[in-house]
Amino acid sequence: MSLIDNGSLVRRLLSRNMSMAQICGYAFSSLIGLSIVLTAIQFYRDASGIFKDGETNAMQQDFIVVSKQVGLTERNVSFSPDEINDIKAQPWVNSIGAFTASRFKATIGVDFAGRGMTTESFFESIPDKFFDRLPDDWHFDSELGERADVPIILSRDYLVLYNFGFASTRGLPTLREGEIGMIPLVVSLYGADGHVTRMRGHIAGFSSRINTIAVPEAFMQWANGKFAPASRSNDVQPSRLVLEINTPGDPAIASYMERNSLDIAGDKLDNGTAAYFLRVMTAVVIALGAIISALAFFILMLSIYLLLQKNREKLHQLMLLGYSPEQTAAPYVALILIVNSSVLILASVTAVAASSMWAEALRSLDAEPVSATPTIATGLVIMTIVSVINIMSVRKRIRNDF
Amino acid sequence: MIETISLVGLLPKVFEGCEQEPPVCTSEVWLKDVELLRGRRYLISAESGTGKSSLCSFIYGNRTDYNGKIFFDGRDTRSLGIDERCDFRRRSLSLLPQEMRLFPELSVMENIRLKNDLTGFRSDREIFDLLDELEIAGKADSKAAFLSIGQQQRVAIVRALCQPFDFLILDEPVSHLDARNNAAAATMVQREADRQGAAIVATSVGNHLKLTDYTLIRL
Repeated sequence: MSLIDNGSLVRRLLSRNMSMAQICGYAFSSLIGLSIVLTAIQFYRDASGIFKDGETNAMQQDFIVVSKQVGLTERNVSFSPDEINDIKAQPWVNSIGAFTASRFKATIGVDFAGRGMTTESFFESIPDKFFDRLPDDWHFDSELGERADVPIILSRDYLVLYNFGFASTRGLPTLREGEIGMIPLVVSLYGADGHVTRMRGHIAGFSSRINTIAVPEAFMQWANGKFAPASRSNDVQPSRLVLEINTPGDPAIASYMERNSLDIAGDKLDNGTAAYFLRVMTAVVIALGAIISALAFFILMLSIYLLLQKNREKLHQLMLLGYSPEQTAAPYVALILIVNSSVLILASVTAVAASSMWAEALRSLDAEPVSATPTIATGLVIMTIVSVINIMSVRKRIRNDF
Repeated sequence: MIETISLVGLLPKVFEGCEQEPPVCTSEVWLKDVELLRGRRYLISAESGTGKSSLCSFIYGNRTDYNGKIFFDGRDTRSLGIDERCDFRRRSLSLLPQEMRLFPELSVMENIRLKNDLTGFRSDREIFDLLDELEIAGKADSKAAFLSIGQQQRVAIVRALCQPFDFLILDEPVSHLDARNNAAAATMVQREADRQGAAIVATSVGNHLKLTDYTLIRL
């Protein structure tokens, strides 16, 4: 039976000797391999939603804020340069940023329709790249000095505390993120000599990642230089660090923290451990699928080589007539493309069908299944690479027989 | 287009070390300089085992086991790439191999179309007329496997004429044809070669293609 008989004489000639059993064997094993790979990828992408954490994603690159464990007996809570270097040297740390704390007294005041409110406050700053999203107006012009505006990023938790804890009991208006930026703040900075400097400020944004009252580094340098008492001017060791982690959930992180008596803000590590486990599981499944796919790939190559061997005389005769190696390879190229595209389509359908099977379970965990397009695109890339290698080796083989 | 095929000091590798012995020392081709010109007719006559088919394959480019050089209009054929070779085989060189090399599972017409489809040189009508001229039009739809050797030779002659060419290389084209069919084949190939201004290079061990006005070369 001819698999690729479309009436062309060359195809008719060369599709003889083609073993349906071999081609089906390849198609089937390749289908199983690719289905496993694509289904695992889709599962990984769907399940990633469960570990989504605000704007950051526990599955990929992640940020954690660490500090030393505090207690009544624990006096020194700042990190020495050696300790910082040691953390920086850990393989799971991509980059490290220090929190710079304000070394002067400060208050923040607000005027709500005639009802003034002032609170003592503090500020911290970290390098800009550690923020999840920087507001457009996140800069401080130190040349303007006291006349400049101070943008502030608040922890999103503070807004929740205000809206649901404070405002409702005091009869104050609740606020949305977008509205808060419009409220003018008065930032009062107290110099060492007791002199008070009042500056304008506003809330420029909120962060889920950084749990503090953050100001631009430029402001912090300027203000610490201007207002910090001389006695504290050397007190520059940070007490909190923000780490960019390249393998979230890596058990090595938790053990390092425990060994060095460090705390991680929030429950990120628990989340990360589950994500890490998911990653490892997915990697194992994808590896299995890849091995099956690779074996299937070799079955196809062997089948085609066998076929080329059987048809060697015919191929040679066709090239004697003036057919180019590409023309004589065409039926095999068509066969590879038809079989590989069918495998890709069926494997994509399998991955999508599997995804719909666990969609309900995902929704019950508050996560939505994601689009299958990137998964199918991955399959397309894999099968394109496989097909290109198949086709190139067939052409090379035929050219060798020219 | 190829105007001249030059054979310079050509010797099949199988004859290495036999340079002073027949057939090499008596040959007008091996180890000599020979020029084949477009538009001329050559009959290469030889006994069995002197390398006729090898010579055809060397010129056609499907074998390279020789010493010496072959030039197409001054260009060493060893420098030709696969694509250029294919192009020559479609437009400049036509070969009728001694073993014909028809595909037994295809019909006579399909075998010829396989060649003709590469350049669309002839219409089905013209192909049919050529078959008719060699008295095998009745076999047009028969599988090549069921043809006698003589019939296969006539089909292969027609197939060789189904492309443009500057040199028509015929390796023992009429070895299994009777005198009448030989004459018919000779008339046809000379007419078609003349129409294209092409050369005929025919080999023979005994039953010569009945060419007129040809140069005899002893291999």
